[in-house]
Amino acid sequence: MKRTHVVAAFTATMVVAAGLTACSPADGGGGDGTDGPVTITIVETKQTNIDAIGAVIPDFEAAMEEQGKEIKVELIEDILTDEQFKTKMTQQLVAGQAPDVLDIGESMAVGWAAAGYLHPLDDYLDDWDGWDHWYPEIQEALTRQDGSVYTLAGGASVQNFFVRKDVLEEVGVDTSQPETWDELIDRLIEVKEQTGDTPIVIPAGTAWGGGTWFEGFQPLLGGTDTDYYDRESGTWDLESEGWLPVFELYHELVSNGLLPVEDLQNPNPWEPTKYVKFPAGDIQVAAQGTWGWRFDWGPEGATPIEGLDEKVITWQYPALRDGDRTYGWINTGGGYAIPESSENKDAAMEFIKFLTSGEALAEQLAASGAASARDDLDDVAPYSNEPRLLEAGEDLAESILVVTGDGTDQIGQAVATATELILSGEADGQQAYDAFVQDATELLGPSLVKE
Amino acid sequence: MTAISNPSAAPVVATRKRPLRPVDVVQRAIGYVLLVLLVLFCLVPFAWVVLSAVDADAGAIVKFPEFSFVNFTRFFSDPGTPLLLVNSLVIAISSTALNLALGIAGGYALSRFAFRGRRFFMFAILLIRVVPAPATIVALYLIMVNLQLANTLHGLILVQAVSGLPVTLWLMKGTVDAVPVELEEAAWTDGSTRLGAIRRIVLPVIGPGLGAAAMLQFMGSWGDFLTPLVLLQNQDLYPLAIGLFRAFTERNIVDWGLLAASGIVYVLPPAILYLFVRKHLLKSSLGGALKG
Amino acid sequence: MTSLVDAPASVQTAIRPPAPGRRRSRRTWPIVALLLGPSAVLITVFIVLPAVYGVWLSLTNTQLTGFAARNPQFIGLDNYTYLLASADFLASLGQTGTFLFWSAIIGQTVLGMVAAVLLSRTWVRGKGFFGAALLMPMVVPEVVASLTWASVLATSPEGTLNRLTGLFGADSTAWLQDFPMLAIILVNIWRGLAFAMIMFQAALEDVPAELIEASRVDGASAVQVFRYVTLPLIRGPVFLYLLLTTISTVGVFGLVYFLTRGGPGGQTTIAAIYIYERALQFSQIGIGSAASIILLVIVLVLGVVYVRLAKVQV
Repeated sequence: MKRTHVVAAFTATMVVAAGLTACSPADGGGGDGTDGPVTITIVETKQTNIDAIGAVIPDFEAAMEEQGKEIKVELIEDILTDEQFKTKMTQQLVAGQAPDVLDIGESMAVGWAAAGYLHPLDDYLDDWDGWDHWYPEIQEALTRQDGSVYTLAGGASVQNFFVRKDVLEEVGVDTSQPETWDELIDRLIEVKEQTGDTPIVIPAGTAWGGGTWFEGFQPLLGGTDTDYYDRESGTWDLESEGWLPVFELYHELVSNGLLPVEDLQNPNPWEPTKYVKFPAGDIQVAAQGTWGWRFDWGPEGATPIEGLDEKVITWQYPALRDGDRTYGWINTGGGYAIPESSENKDAAMEFIKFLTSGEALAEQLAASGAASARDDLDDVAPYSNEPRLLEAGEDLAESILVVTGDGTDQIGQAVATATELILSGEADGQQAYDAFVQDATELLGPSLVKE
Repeated sequence: MTAISNPSAAPVVATRKRPLRPVDVVQRAIGYVLLVLLVLFCLVPFAWVVLSAVDADAGAIVKFPEFSFVNFTRFFSDPGTPLLLVNSLVIAISSTALNLALGIAGGYALSRFAFRGRRFFMFAILLIRVVPAPATIVALYLIMVNLQLANTLHGLILVQAVSGLPVTLWLMKGTVDAVPVELEEAAWTDGSTRLGAIRRIVLPVIGPGLGAAAMLQFMGSWGDFLTPLVLLQNQDLYPLAIGLFRAFTERNIVDWGLLAASGIVYVLPPAILYLFVRKHLLKSSLGGALKG
Repeated sequence: MTSLVDAPASVQTAIRPPAPGRRRSRRTWPIVALLLGPSAVLITVFIVLPAVYGVWLSLTNTQLTGFAARNPQFIGLDNYTYLLASADFLASLGQTGTFLFWSAIIGQTVLGMVAAVLLSRTWVRGKGFFGAALLMPMVVPEVVASLTWASVLATSPEGTLNRLTGLFGADSTAWLQDFPMLAIILVNIWRGLAFAMIMFQAALEDVPAELIEASRVDGASAVQVFRYVTLPLIRGPVFLYLLLTTISTVGVFGLVYFLTRGGPGGQTTIAAIYIYERALQFSQIGIGSAASIILLVIVLVLGVVYVRLAKVQV
């Protein structure tokens, strides 16, 4: 008995000692900002980006060496969900410990820029002729509410409807661009009668998380009404006239049995819808950004659709009210950013410029499926070999966007909860809208709601 | 007292043989039925994990597998997997060892000495754990950065060992309470030092409490996700709890088969620990000590 | 029967804290400091300090992101008055109460006790198997546990539970949508049963087998033995368990979050999820902290009630 205890205690001590000594702190790699070689760090959370960035780092280091600068890039591969990444990186930003280059989405860009965690890039951009090649729409989209640019993205995505042309033709439904929602709904009902399917998926409800707002509701709202965010005062206008019609549209889709309600209410609702039913042709219309050509249904995507180019076409969003026109919705606003705490801002900016120019950008765009935000990339391979992406690039000019600011997360949450009420049949459009206003008012607090 | 905790030769096994009455038979039958129902309740949900782990075409729902070990192959052939496992083991074992060492010493002090603030201390450390991690993680991270413990395994080990310490202190205090102080006093008169008496008398008989504490601490550390996520930046230090999320690929598609396979691997170490600790838990150590 | 009544009282002397053993000499402090000091210091640094910082944050309008992050202000008790008037927060407290009562205090305790008592019986064969099986739910990672239950509770007819009820001719039910609270209660019982079992098993070991044996010989039924002999003897551990499970159940987050994300329609937004949403998702760490402190006070009151009810000494 005693002996075993001694052995156990000894083992335990050894393990503790091993644990404490063997795992010395990882080398910081933050660089010291003094003369000589500089090492900058960049964090990526998605394998596609890790591969794409990793591939261009040697080119960048070589290019810098030619200019007489010794800059090394350390790629931090951190495969996490967006939510986990946000949680983690927020702590590091608060503590001034973040990497030199971040690759972030719109909601993080908005919140972190407003909080002062990100370094404004304006001075760098003014001195860089490359910036002049950005499409003005995208420049506007990248400009935050305070007039500064904090994130630089070389690509953008157009949110449209992806349509299974092959299936629609099979059942004899018109595949031309529908001009109004009434027209589209008539066609969807026709499809439903013929196939018994729920023919359209638009992100909705709480299970879809942030996508319900960014990929579902906001594109519908923005085409109808651009005044829901007041840039002057940085507040949300919950009484803007577009909200109610969009909630009513969701209700109409649900009450006609056109949305796959059950799938939308389960965890990971994108799986049964975008990754099972759309590829199988059992959902015929899906709200989707340009990345669908790659990430979702491309040859190396989540669930490849064979003959994607022949089977699938895109429609713009139809007009929701009289007098509106059809439109695509621009998804961007994120991009590469430099934390205010970075000690190597100049070197970090060099890297960002490199990533958003020429071949390095062309490779990222082709890999992730995005349209170029620059006007000088159409001839640069491999982007130039992607007709679908080039097409989306042309659409960018006709597409719309609404720049928003602080509070997107809360709005997203309130919209998710309110659309959930519609999905579960507990509310019609008006009731959902009322619930939304109440919820959003509470979540946003007085400073973010327009009087 | 001795009369009641009658030190018979083998306390637990000392069931006197007597014929089973019908009522006993019925009670035993009910007992087995209850146990089987409980076990079914606990195990049936695992059908999904087990079947999906060996299913080459796994999904979110239980179905008959397309039998293959490809998920395990994929899990173990990932170059990062061994490191994740080693990290998890180092973190969980070290933090458990540290936690128990602190817990035994502290628990002994709480049990054997009356000092001011003892009750307050005990309730305070327990209740303060109610403040959920999201509300404290900001401060914790700042503290770790200032102590230069962020992004280190020993920092994480320390935090996890301490986060389970309140429970361990309580368990160890209760366990030491159950050891009659008279035994220790007898040892002192035999010439033992206080420390020697602890080692000879107390340590050998606190097995059950120690086992329970070890089990809880190990599992707490093993399953912790938020602390390593925030405290660690270096991939090479990540534990399996974070590595599991490799199964959540881009665009948030879940690789069900990989997730199930990693889940099974993940469950094994704590389950094995239980098998070891269980014997400890069930040993009537107090009786044994009295006998000796 | 008299022995049943007498015995526990006398045995209790073994369970109560051995007060005579406590040294009261002036030389107590150095050894207490030596033994307990390291724990106290570490707990202060890694648990108390962050919590105290949380108290400070709760009195400010601090945010982690957005404009409000730039210039946090001391705002007194505004966060508290806001929360106590907020229907969402009060609803989340109510849901926490329901969740806590049915899953932890009733479900885990009763089933855990049944398991521990049965596994302490000498006639039960295969204890290793039973014990390990009951432990499995506790050791799976939360993500896997949630997805596992998502497959059990799935709406489609292929969901495990729907298949089961289908055997009795029932229609498929969307469990997570129609009975979300029931679903997460069930899942939490499943997950926490083993903790109760372990705690009670350790406690039951201290109940002398002879005492039970003697009562049985005297003709008491198994239930009577449990009620009049066993239970009074393990009152302390049961109380400790209730306190611990209350604390850990109030903190349950991942299990519910991965399964329902607090929905549908906020029906399962227990306090931990509310706090997570506020503190990390919406970065309103001031409000999130205030909500945590309110939660702490409620559990404090509960803790005092337990102590009174159990009449325990520590």
